[in-house]
This record gives sequence, structure tokens and C-alpha cells, in this order.
Amino acid sequence: MGISDHVVETTGLTKRYGDVVAVNDLTLRVPRGGVFGFLGPNGSGKTTTMGMLLGLVHATSGQAHIFGDSAFHPATLRRVGAMVETPTFYPYLTGRANLRYFQAIGRRGSPADIDRLLKLVDLGKRADSKFSTYSLGMKQRLGVALALLGDPELVFLDEPTNGLDPAGVVEVRELIRELGTGGRTVVLSSHLLAETELVCDNVAVLSRGKLIAQGTIKELLREHDALRLRTTDDAAARTVLGTLPWVESVDQQDGTLLVAAPQARAWEVARALADRQIYVNELVPVHRTLEEFFMEITGTDPNTGREKS
Amino acid sequence: MIANIGNLAVWEWFKLRRRWMLWILLLFALLFAQLAVWGTFFSYNGVKETGGELTVPASLQQQQGRIPRTVRCNDLLSGDVARQPIDLDTQVVAGLRAQCQQQAAALPARLARGYSNFTLPGSIPSALGTVQTLGLILMAILTASAIGIDYGAGTLRSVLTQGTGRWPYLTAKLITLALLALLGLVVAVASVAVSSTVASGLAGAAPAPAGTAATWSDAGIALLKAWVSLIPYIALTAFVTVVARSSAAGMAIGLGYYFFEQLIVALFSNLFSWFQNVADFLLVRNISAWTGAAGGFPGTAALPDATQAIIVLGVYTLVLGGVAFWLFERRDVQGATGGG
Repeated sequence: MGISDHVVETTGLTKRYGDVVAVNDLTLRVPRGGVFGFLGPNGSGKTTTMGMLLGLVHATSGQAHIFGDSAFHPATLRRVGAMVETPTFYPYLTGRANLRYFQAIGRRGSPADIDRLLKLVDLGKRADSKFSTYSLGMKQRLGVALALLGDPELVFLDEPTNGLDPAGVVEVRELIRELGTGGRTVVLSSHLLAETELVCDNVAVLSRGKLIAQGTIKELLREHDALRLRTTDDAAARTVLGTLPWVESVDQQDGTLLVAAPQARAWEVARALADRQIYVNELVPVHRTLEEFFMEITGTDPNTGREKS
Repeated sequence: MIANIGNLAVWEWFKLRRRWMLWILLLFALLFAQLAVWGTFFSYNGVKETGGELTVPASLQQQQGRIPRTVRCNDLLSGDVARQPIDLDTQVVAGLRAQCQQQAAALPARLARGYSNFTLPGSIPSALGTVQTLGLILMAILTASAIGIDYGAGTLRSVLTQGTGRWPYLTAKLITLALLALLGLVVAVASVAVSSTVASGLAGAAPAPAGTAATWSDAGIALLKAWVSLIPYIALTAFVTVVARSSAAGMAIGLGYYFFEQLIVALFSNLFSWFQNVADFLLVRNISAWTGAAGGFPGTAALPDATQAIIVLGVYTLVLGGVAFWLFERRDVQGATGGG
């Protein structure tokens, strides 16, 4: 993939707050088009990275480029839409007046776009109510509308489904999927991994400020494929499989063997065991979800949602 | 760049005009301007009708348990027996009459001055003198609120991600505030002009002119000086609001500093002679010196001259504004409250 195929490129991007390293030597490539998942536990540096890309946070060192230009430059930012953290608007202005204001100061599109966007995020009927009277879900939807002002080529959405009811989550998911078509790129940060898996093509995973995985979801999950086995002699099977170079691990789990190995080599597993007179009663490919993958590589405790120290 | 700042300033006005605060502050300015005109008008009428009043302390009154009372000079000097105070000793009355005769000599000049202060064009510098102090306070409130809301509501994040640029955004805000200050003064002057016309009609014939009356040129200069004097105070409030990232802090310091400085000057000038040199470089004293206001608490020394004042005010504006811009440009914007 050539340089021009990446809408966001960072090299050695670092942000320190005193002794705390919020983002550590981040080298990230976001491919053009589609939905890019930006994942990581709370405090992993996702929002700080977005802040640096959007010119809100000054990087301690490193470089960040959007469309090949300096990420912090106002002219670059005019081609980018963003909703970072909780959407913030002027509480005494109506939803419509808020969008009109931001449309005008950013010179994004035309005033005529505002009605279309309000309808798109289902705020048409409350467009003339003051922002201070909006529910959390309505604020969130107005934030999405703001990010889409001027039909930007790149959209950052930080937890866009926060505060939405289940129907709203589905609507926003469909909207994000739609946004990612036609050459536009959506960078989606979300802790709802099941949602992310449904809409993202590529993901990057941050943990403690460092990039620990990046690629297409298919590739990443395939790297962590496994086979579940039930054999005539599980103890002997563990020993045999442990000698195969392409088997990463063999664990006993719920009375079965969980073998970390490419699913395409299932037949080789069966043959290697049969050669030693160990026979397979059951062999099932195990497809891990993005959530399981995420929990494993970030070391996140599934009960608390926090990284294990 | 200029077009960008101009666009941002127009849309700053879009936000500000939708806030009740702006109109309430303007209403206060208009009320004070009217108070200056009508207060002078009623004072003029009182002096014209009574010839001036003298207060007679209780100790000079014959009966015990009296409270201080006033006597009108026109009564004392009329020679009409029925209008003379009958409850006062004749020697006291003679003394009061002598005082009234002294006042009567200065009465035409006093009346001419009073008349000039509520009729055009003299009413304009007079009213601006009253509104100017209030103007500092009103602009402190407006500036802190206009800049502080982006921290309080967290909207700075949404604004900057639109690609406005940081310093153009703050520049546009300050330009809008400065223009609003001018607009507020112009509206106050317009209201003074209307009420002055009414008041001069009610006052009847003008007294004989005495001394140099204010001209339209004086009125224009007073308006310009009043406006210029607000600029460093806008810079002070902007500086505090940006440093503290809070409109409350901006308002508190903006309001409190005005009184604090005068208190400090009054206190320390009397205790240490060298403090006068320091005081001559303080903000509010130079604002007072620039506008020609009485300024300062009783007992404080003379104000600096106007040339020094405008230089000092210029330095304050540049330094406070410069630091505000520097901080606004280099600090990170983060957190749910948009601190930046």
C-alpha cells in the first residue's frame, strides 16, 4: 500500500504529561476508505491520539500527517469531521443554531446541509430546542451531525453510541457503515467491540499508550485461530501436538484440548495424532470474536474491563 | 487570514446576541447613563429653586433634641419675613445668610455648569464619566463570560476541530468584545442625547454662560477615551479567564481588581511615600488618568498625566493580551470540560 493510500500517518508520535507517557512512540497507518476501529482500554491513549491528530493536544515528539499534510494545520482540519469524547455545544443555542454556527466558522458546506443532517440523525423535530434541553442520546446524535458537516473525507468518531438506546445504536451503526463507503474514511473509537467488529474493516489496538496490533480484523483474528479437539488420549495428544512447530499452544479446557493453530492445518493435526495411534473424536474450528482477541492482547480483565497490572 | 478573523467575529456576534446577559448589561449601562442626565437635571432644578441649601447642625439650634435641618438660601436672602427660619438664633441666621451670599456669587457659574451637564453636548462627557466606571465592570463580566463559556461548556474542542485556528479565534473574540464596548457606549450616548433634549426642554431658558462650555469635539473625545479605557480591562479579564480557564475567575478578578487597586493605593500611599511611584503604573489609576475621571479613593495623590496613562495602558494591553494569546495557543485542550 503506497503512502497516498493512507489518510492518517503517524511516526513516533509521543505525548508525555510529566512522567506519565500517554502515547508512546505511536506509528499508525489508517488506510483510505472504510471504517477503521481504534481500540484500547480506558486510558490507553486513544483520545489523546485523536486530540493530537485534531490539533487539540500538542505532541511531545513525533509526526502526524492527515492526507499527507501536517495534522495540526487548520486547512487540513477543515477536511476532517470529528466528535471527540462527549459532544460539546453552546447550551443556550438550539441544535440548529449550533450547527449553523459551526458550519459557518469552519466554512463547511452550506446552511442547506443542516436540515439534511438534522434529519439524518433524527433530530428534525427537536432542532429548534435549546441544546441544554437535549437528552444524552440527542446530544450524541447532534455530535454525529457536527462531525458530518461539510461532507468531510475523514471522520473521527469517539464513542458515538454512548447514551443511545438499542435502536439508536443500530441506527448509528448503519450510519457509520454507510459513511465508510464511497472513499470516505471513518476512524471509530469504541469500547463496544461487538459493534466495532460489525462495522470495521481495519483496527488498531492501543494498550498503555503503545500500538500492540494493527491490521484487518480477518487477519488479526486468523492469527489467533484455534481448534477444539476431543481425542482418545488427550494427555498423549498434548505431548504430540506440542512438538509441532506451527502449533502455538495446547491447553486443556472444559474437557477438550484447545490448540492454537491455523485452521487450514486441521488435517495435519488429525494426521499427526493418527500416526501415534491417537484418534480424533471431535475437531471443531474455534472462531474468536474481536472482544476475546482484544481481552487477550490487552490483558484486560473481562470482569472489570481494566487492564491487568 | 483577515477574512477568517472577520468571519469568526461575525459569528461571535451571532452567539453573543443570543444571550440574555448582553442585553441585561446594556440595560444597566443605559440606566446609569440616564441616571447621570436626570440626576444632574434634578440637582440643577433644586439649586435653581432654592439658591442652594445649607445644613444647620443640631448644636446650633435653640431647642434641645433637634436634628440637623436645612435652610434655603433663597429664603434667607429674600428679605421676606415670613420665609425666615423662626426657630434659629439671629446670630446663626446672620452667619447662614453670609454663607448664602457667598454662594449666590458663585451661583450663576454653578447653574451654568449644571445646565451644561444635562444638555447637549456637555451631557455626553458628563454621562460617560458616570458610565465609564460601570463600563469596566460590565465589560469584565461580558469578556469573562464570552471567553469562559468555551472552557465551561467544553465548546473550545468543537470550535478548534473546525479548523478555525487558535489565535484567529481568540482575536475574533476580542475584536468583537471591543466593538461591542464601542457599540454599547454609542447606544448609551444616543440615549443620553434623547434624554438631554427632553431635559433641556423641561429646564427652560439656559442660564447665562459662565466659563468654557463643553463642545461636540469634547463629546467625541470623551467617547473615544471611554472606549480606549475599556480595552486594557478587556485584556486583563481575557488574560485571567484564559489562565484560569474559567469565566468565574475572570469575572471575580475583573470585578475585584478595580476596587482592590484603589484600596491598595489609598492604603499604601499614605503609609509609604515611595508607593506613589508604583501606583502611577497601576491599571485603574491610569484608566482614571486617561479619561480624566476623579478616580481613586479620598486621600490619594494626583493622577499621572494622560500621555503617561495611554502608554501604560498600551503596555498593559500588549502584555496581558500577549500572554493570553501565548497560553491559548500552546496549551492542550482536553477533558470533558474542554480545559485548554
